[in-house]
Amino acid sequence: MINRVILFFAFILIVSSCSNPGPGYEFMPNMYRSPSLETYGQNSVFEDSSNARLPVKGTIARNYLSTFYYEGSLQGYLEAGENAVNPFLNDEVNIEEGKKLYSMFCQHCHGEFGAGGGSITHPVYSAIPHYNDSKMLRRANVPMNQLTSGHIFHALTYGLNAMGPHSSQLSEEERWKITIYVQELQKYNAE
Amino acid sequence: MTIPFNNNRLLQLLFVVFISFSSVLAQDTNVVIDSIAVQKGEQIFKANCTACHVMGDKKLIGPGLLGVTDRRTKEWLKKWINSSSDFIASGDADAIAIYEEYNKVAMPSYYFEDTDYEAVYAYLQNPPLPKVIADAGDLLVSEDEGLNISTQLMFIALFLLLLVYVLTSLKNKLKDSLAQDTETITQTLVNQFNLFISNNRNIVFVAFACFIVVVKFGYDSLSSVGIYTKYQPEQPIAFSHKVHAGENGVDCNYCHSSARKSKHSGIPSANVCMNCHTYINEGTITGTTEISKIYEAVGFDPDSRTYISGYEQKPIKWVRIHNLPDLAYFNHSQHVVAGKVECKTCHGPIEEMDVVYQHAELTMGWCIECHRTTEVAMEGNEYYTELHEQLKEKYKGQKITVDKIGGIECGKCHY
Repeated sequence: MINRVILFFAFILIVSSCSNPGPGYEFMPNMYRSPSLETYGQNSVFEDSSNARLPVKGTIARNYLSTFYYEGSLQGYLEAGENAVNPFLNDEVNIEEGKKLYSMFCQHCHGEFGAGGGSITHPVYSAIPHYNDSKMLRRANVPMNQLTSGHIFHALTYGLNAMGPHSSQLSEEERWKITIYVQELQKYNAE
Repeated sequence: MTIPFNNNRLLQLLFVVFISFSSVLAQDTNVVIDSIAVQKGEQIFKANCTACHVMGDKKLIGPGLLGVTDRRTKEWLKKWINSSSDFIASGDADAIAIYEEYNKVAMPSYYFEDTDYEAVYAYLQNPPLPKVIADAGDLLVSEDEGLNISTQLMFIALFLLLLVYVLTSLKNKLKDSLAQDTETITQTLVNQFNLFISNNRNIVFVAFACFIVVVKFGYDSLSSVGIYTKYQPEQPIAFSHKVHAGENGVDCNYCHSSARKSKHSGIPSANVCMNCHTYINEGTITGTTEISKIYEAVGFDPDSRTYISGYEQKPIKWVRIHNLPDLAYFNHSQHVVAGKVECKTCHGPIEEMDVVYQHAELTMGWCIECHRTTEVAMEGNEYYTELHEQLKEKYKGQKITVDKIGGIECGKCHY
């Protein structure tokens, strides 16, 4: 009997030493690795061998003609604050859309109601200003709760202080919708 | 009765006690006053300064302020805080040097009341003690605690084999002491083995065990052909979804923003990393080693917080985990936006994974199973209202699952 037990454990020793770190076996691999170029793959045509290409400089995607011409400087920020107009209506549908986008792209820092306290607790992002703060901002010459849609859109597009630019993740339409929702939150009183 | 020591000494003793006690009292009150001021200063600091300064050595937008009270006088700091631009204009050499060092960006003016300024200064003088970050080694050990079952079994088996060795040598020792014939371990093993195979029932047992193992191996390896479940490759940067999506609660869409818009749920380009990691230079698990790989890729100097001009940026070569063969079509935006399927339905508990593995099988049976059981998301899908009304009309009272809108038609995925 003892011999059987020993044999059994010897088996387990052999069996358990086979682990499977790789992706496993493939039958007819060309269905998984096709000759056509796949997203993020590599090729031998381009010098940097990357399949992901930048569009030709100056390209404008269809239906994506920008209405926002302000530069990413302090000057541009102030001009945008004064002149930029939100092309989208401040209606229920857009507020709802904006809220949804806000929860994906802003909430983890700015909190659910734009009063800070998001899920990110790193010290750099621990002192998020409240949207309805009435303290005067030197940069814009108005308090937080009176920032115009142009200011907000500019900050979203080019970044501000410790916030990075979000233009690569959000289309202009989405940024304007978030702006609409942020302007709703400017009226929200945290207390 | 006489008192055993003279009054003079008693008086001296009392005096000493009183003095030391009062000095303790005085120290205490000092500390109390300080801590209130420091607390107030901390509040003011957090409300006004942390967007640009950290309480440390590192630069953020402005310099790190740890020990700034040793570098500058109280009056100097006050002038700078009240109006740095006026102070620079007045020609102070230090002020101009700072202005030049930070690319000619002047600090905004802050007009603090005197008491508020005192509080901020007290806070700058008494910074909070730095948090002790756990040693990387400790963390690694704690990760190893979760040994997988096969490794545990291996240890048990090794232990038992060791036991065999020990017992055999013990037996030899005993036999030796009784002046009986001893046998070496190999001899014992050979003898035992011969004894073992001399019994036919044992041979049947072994053959049966071998048969089971072969069948199990064969079945497993054949049925796992083309299935990548649990595939967990090592990535070029040890990015932890557990830290980002779990602990910090960043939405999946923040980085994988193209999941709502395209066939692919894109891998974020490094500029998305830099949205936060321009300022966050140290991770909780790996410190600066992994985050500096992003800087290496994009050409960013974390000390000066600037991009190196003319730097040849290198792509980060992430290893692909999920892969469908070309014969099947899958679209993320269709499932995420119209279908309202949550990411974790297919990708599993990503927010708990330090290293991502493939959760679902991604086989056709798995797709079909889900299409047969998942109900069509009609709520908040106004674009399709007309279609949904028709479906409700057609399948009165029945569950309207995805297969009823063509979710198992061949041509939907294979064309």
